[in-house]
Amino acid sequence: MPKTSEPDIPKTPSAAQQLGKAFAKSAAMAVRPPFPLSKPNWPNGVARPEEVSRLGVNYDTEWSRSYPARIVRAAFLDWLSKPVARAIAPATVLGEDRLAGLDFATNPVILAPNHASHVDTLVLLTSLPEQLRHRTIVAAAADYFFDTRVKSALWALTTAAIPIERNKVNRRSAQVAADLLNEGWSLLIYPEGGRTPDGWIQKFSGGAAYLSLKTGTPVVPIYLKGTRSVMAKGSSKIRQSPTTVIFGNPMPPAAHEDARKFASAIEDEVAKLADEAENDWWSATLRAAKGTTPSLAGPDAPAWRRTWELGRSAK
Amino acid sequence: MPRPGFVLETDKSTPPTMFWNGEGFRMEKLPSGSRVIYAPEPLKPLDDADASIQQALLNPAGDMPPLPELLKPGMRLTIAFDDVSLPLPPMKRPDNRQRVIEAVLEMAARAGVDDVVLIAALALHRRMTENELRHALGDRVYDSFAPHGLLTQHDAEDPDAIVHIGKTEHGEDVELNRRAAESDLIVYVNINLVAMDGGHKSVGTGLASYKSIKHHHNVKTMTHSKSFMDQERSELHSSNWRMGRFLKDAGVKIFQIETTLNTDTFPKEFAFLQKREWEWKLRDRVSYMGVSKALDRTPPRVARSIFNSVLSPHQMTSVQAGEVEAVHKITTENVYRQQLVEVEGQTDIFTMGLPYIGPYNVNSILNPILVACMGLGYFFNLYRGKPLVRQGGVLIMTHPTPWAFNPVHHPSYIDFFDQVLSETTDPLVIEAKYEESFATDPWYRHLYRTGHAYHGVHPFYMWYWCSHALEHLSRVIVVGGDPRSVKRLGFHPATTLGDALEIASDVVGRNPSISHFHAPPLMIADVK
Amino acid sequence: MKALVFERKVARYAASRLASTIKGSGSGAKLSPISFQEIGTPDLPGEGWHELDVVLSGICGSDLATIDGRSSRYYEDIVSFPFVPGHEIVAKTKEGSRVVIEPVLHCATRSIQPLCSPCSEGNTQLCQNLAFGDLEPGLQTGYCSTTLGGWGPKVLAHESQIHEVPDNLSDEEAVLVEPMACSVHAALKALGEDGAKVAVIGAGTLGLGVIAALSQFCPVSTIIAAAKYPHQQRMAKQLGAEVVVGPSSFRDAIRRASSSMMHGPWLTAGADITFDCVGSSSSISEALQVTKPGGRIVMVGMPGPTKVDLAPFWHREIKMEGSYAYGTESLGNTFKLAMEMIAAKGLGALVSAKYPLHRYEEAIRHAAQAGGRDGVKVVFEITTEKSRR
Repeated sequence: MPKTSEPDIPKTPSAAQQLGKAFAKSAAMAVRPPFPLSKPNWPNGVARPEEVSRLGVNYDTEWSRSYPARIVRAAFLDWLSKPVARAIAPATVLGEDRLAGLDFATNPVILAPNHASHVDTLVLLTSLPEQLRHRTIVAAAADYFFDTRVKSALWALTTAAIPIERNKVNRRSAQVAADLLNEGWSLLIYPEGGRTPDGWIQKFSGGAAYLSLKTGTPVVPIYLKGTRSVMAKGSSKIRQSPTTVIFGNPMPPAAHEDARKFASAIEDEVAKLADEAENDWWSATLRAAKGTTPSLAGPDAPAWRRTWELGRSAK
Repeated sequence: MPRPGFVLETDKSTPPTMFWNGEGFRMEKLPSGSRVIYAPEPLKPLDDADASIQQALLNPAGDMPPLPELLKPGMRLTIAFDDVSLPLPPMKRPDNRQRVIEAVLEMAARAGVDDVVLIAALALHRRMTENELRHALGDRVYDSFAPHGLLTQHDAEDPDAIVHIGKTEHGEDVELNRRAAESDLIVYVNINLVAMDGGHKSVGTGLASYKSIKHHHNVKTMTHSKSFMDQERSELHSSNWRMGRFLKDAGVKIFQIETTLNTDTFPKEFAFLQKREWEWKLRDRVSYMGVSKALDRTPPRVARSIFNSVLSPHQMTSVQAGEVEAVHKITTENVYRQQLVEVEGQTDIFTMGLPYIGPYNVNSILNPILVACMGLGYFFNLYRGKPLVRQGGVLIMTHPTPWAFNPVHHPSYIDFFDQVLSETTDPLVIEAKYEESFATDPWYRHLYRTGHAYHGVHPFYMWYWCSHALEHLSRVIVVGGDPRSVKRLGFHPATTLGDALEIASDVVGRNPSISHFHAPPLMIADVK
Repeated sequence: MKALVFERKVARYAASRLASTIKGSGSGAKLSPISFQEIGTPDLPGEGWHELDVVLSGICGSDLATIDGRSSRYYEDIVSFPFVPGHEIVAKTKEGSRVVIEPVLHCATRSIQPLCSPCSEGNTQLCQNLAFGDLEPGLQTGYCSTTLGGWGPKVLAHESQIHEVPDNLSDEEAVLVEPMACSVHAALKALGEDGAKVAVIGAGTLGLGVIAALSQFCPVSTIIAAAKYPHQQRMAKQLGAEVVVGPSSFRDAIRRASSSMMHGPWLTAGADITFDCVGSSSSISEALQVTKPGGRIVMVGMPGPTKVDLAPFWHREIKMEGSYAYGTESLGNTFKLAMEMIAAKGLGALVSAKYPLHRYEEAIRHAAQAGGRDGVKVVFEITTEKSRR
């Protein structure tokens, strides 16, 4: 199915943004009662101590891993997200058996899929094996999902999101993620750092690889297909479209010495999974062995040609 | 630490013993002094099956280089694998075959091998369905090969796909699947559920033709295989070994990969099935009662489909690869390690409860001929040394033995039952008078080749399988079986175990020794 | 004298038909237009006629059909009421010799001259004058109001109908001569088909007789028989069928014997000749399924109105032929051949029960259920009747 080009300019705010704004507005509209019923004014001339933001990467999500929150989330995932996912983006799940030998209760994994759409998390979480689904936290862009308290709480509650920096390794957020991995939580992290602007996969950054090496947790490469058709970046419309989730073999960190190389190995593996999903496992394996796996990065060419090529490669 | 097998001597205080009874169970109070033989508990599986497979492929047994050294660009590689008759019940995904074949294919891809064909080595068994192939091989392998026609099922009746390799020194015709014979390497992927499986039987039988197979699948061979679970004393195996060696000398190169499973046979809901009765917890008793009460009220068709959906949790206990005989030696040790139970001396009466499933009725019906084969062919032969029951003893088995057949899988069985067993039950007469006409019947051939039917001759093999037991026993009694079908088999129907013991008494007297074979889980009685 | 008499009573006829439909064949006897009543002895109808004392008289499938009200309306004008049924007759002459009666009432018995053309060739079963001449209409003794029948103490017979019973046959064997002659007549249609694979549907008296006759007279290669009950299967086997199976396995057995393939329920090959010794719509359908294209079906059992899909009959160019009674075969007179066969095969064992006339309701019920009660042929024994009186 050829896709038409969509310029990378934010047109309409996303559903999440709209929701956040609405909450903020309603809060502001409340009439403010006098002190001490409301907050006191800060006297002029008294220096304000520098306020540490409780949002963004500093948002504390610990409450969202408490049992009551987990129960709410489990119910939300199974009773609401699942039917919704099935309705808008029915997923064919492949390669689940590659995870069959793992005991997620004691051995967490890092899930590393490509990222094309806001529905990725929904599709992926609802496609995870039962045992993994309810002990997976999601690394979410601090600047995007954790910019207001309400949004932060919402994401933390519904997807067990934790805030991380997009493209750099923030010591604090990385430590939080590592600690959680060590505690036995599995982590869903998009190594591309954001949704693809044009359908081609962006270079994998080292976050997932770094965490894997740091904690010894294996990485499960995942290829998500078709989610961009459901809701592409920059689009606010949802179109029903089938999707495919294909899990790869867990990659133990032991074999890789540095995060960058590991990240590119993960990227290769996702490319191979894409080939497998497009064609079949054996021919993908043969091409991978010969080093001729079709690139997911697209041609190094102007935007129109990249889009053109994407249309050609998508069957 | 799993406990080894156990032989219980019953007394008045012993709780009743659970007997399998097709798609159900019976509780039977065995007379005091009877022995009940319990299978060893499941061995601990391999920690990391995939790593062990890699290890085995890279460090082959016997005179055989590591697999990657055998794989060359431009070569013809054929991967043959065991069919749906193994394991029992079918195992939870991923199946051993999938794990091993994926590992082999990864290596083949790295070596640049493009010409790869997979063959289900089903000999004269029925062709597998798509779901069964997907289950055994996994979706990845299936989707990679099936659409291109590279996932094939052996067709012993396709004249163009069979080559005659030659004759052994005993004059046995050796015929083989053409693609396999003309490949640079055959990789055989096996699951060794019982000691009979594997070795030269894998390629030598699995990829052979009727003309070749009939040299060892006959009454004479079977009565001289004591038992066919004990390779050293099995004429069936001697013949297969001759053929295997002949193939090797003829230049057919086989890289054999064998795996064994533990006896963790039934899922949690049926945990009581592999426990000793006196160790049943409340939970086991409740689930036993629940399951058997529910089954009492379930029509047979539904009960069958419930049982057919049972997937076994058994796991790999060993994997070995390399030269056929060296590999099989280790495999056999591993099977024995899991399944051998030492039993002191023979018995007058051998009792057994037959389960719903055997090798030839996966997703099907255990028809009366298969009931006979399960009892007299398989369970009777699960011994090493001497048969568990003495010469002239009595075998008592429990199974409803309905007059029911699956017409898709077992068309020639129906005719065998109606037209052959109605005339005689003597294996030698049957072999001489009827085998050829069934084996060459064009309709059975058509159904075998294009449908999912066992080969026309297959019911004969089931009956030959029984021939050692038929010769050895003086009476066979089926408790709870449909009298019509039991009589057709030449056995005695009985309503209760008490009646059966009564019927047996004029052969073995009033105070016979009784041994109950508490299987499945499978085991081999090592009779001293 | 008292005899069983069948009268034309429409209401009773309907009632017995209803009863047999609801409760099964043979149960209509009580309601049917048959009764055990006093009758006078009629005069001899003409020259060459004799009065005989009945010894044994069989109950035939066609009698049952009549009693059940199931026989075809076809026969309405070639029977005359009231009649004494019974056409399988062993009797004694005044001189005391044992005879059997060949019951067809053909030209000669009716003093018709010249004989019709079939009669002149000895094929009396095909006689064209069954309703004319000296006698009332009637296709056979036992369906004619003039001649009496076997289910009474006396019967009238024309000399052309009388066959002396050789000493080597017992009464029980002799009473089988008439039905066995039917079987022989049918089986001889396979003459000249050496090596043919033959299927026989039904293992009542006729079916067993056909099996016996085939193995006695015809060099066919394989006889495959369907028999419902174990004793029938045993006898079919003894009489010469190679393969004997239950009805549900019949098609499979023929498929195997003829190395046939299948399209749905249809064999692609099949039997060369099929003998339908039942005559029901299901047996005819079965015969069509198991007969090879271009093959033959011989209808031995008496059919009535049936519903059968004739597409295969047309498409497979199957030849269907009736086989009624007996007459003159290429090997000789059918009755003589039947006697020869009965002696050779020792068929007396087929007679499984004898009843006096007054227990006719029981006898008829037994005859209708003979197969299920391990029996084949049920007969009336008249001498016993006399001595009891």
